[in-house]
Amino acid sequence: MAALPDQTRADMSADIQRTPDCPGGVTKAELRAAINAADDWADANAAAYNAALPAAARTALTARQKARVLEFVIRKRWEAA
Amino acid sequence: MTTSRASLTPFSAELPTSNAPQLIVVNGRPCLGFDATTQETAYWSLMAPQGVDPSPLTISIAYMMASATTGGIALGVSVEAITDGDATDLDATTSFDTINTGTVASVPGTAGYIDVLTITLTNNDSLAAADYLRISVARVVADAADTATGDLYLLTADLRDDV
Repeated sequence: MAALPDQTRADMSADIQRTPDCPGGVTKAELRAAINAADDWADANAAAYNAALPAAARTALTARQKARVLEFVIRKRWEAA
Repeated sequence: MTTSRASLTPFSAELPTSNAPQLIVVNGRPCLGFDATTQETAYWSLMAPQGVDPSPLTISIAYMMASATTGGIALGVSVEAITDGDATDLDATTSFDTINTGTVASVPGTAGYIDVLTITLTNNDSLAAADYLRISVARVVADAADTATGDLYLLTADLRDDV
């Protein structure tokens, strides 16, 4: 999957700022830069994530399903943090 | 001498049908929550108090931030003053004067701490006592100074003059 469109990144930044736990230690521009960096990182490391999956899942799952697995892992790690 | 002329509270605000700040209660304190990315506006209507003199007219706005501990904010305040007999079709038009913008370079370093921004209402629509007065307050999210993330909670505001 390619990096997210600029408008999508902007929408994400707006959405995050509407949550009760909106990051408060950065400015709006810095928050947007963090979103850009996170998406760029995800884009650059997609192949590495795919390679890290066991062969069974790597070959059986679709890209969307693999992304969903990663989403669940990140969410649980975030909730535990 | 500075004189308080009107107190504007969250529960007395008039909220438009679109892009209104959220009326919420935080720790028992009524607040208007102004979004950081969508410009939202609240209005107050009143009769201009007797003795008011708009030279100068100021508004002091007490606020706190929901989560931000860095960055700045920008608030825009507009005045609409309509005198008895004015040819203004109230049910079809508005006649707000040019916006008065005030900024804060750095919000309090702890979310929930109070800060007060005072804006001189240079553009006051030639306000006079007994005018039908409307005041609008908006968070100017497009202003370069509005860099703080998350909601701005307006706690109360005080309209003042110096006569």
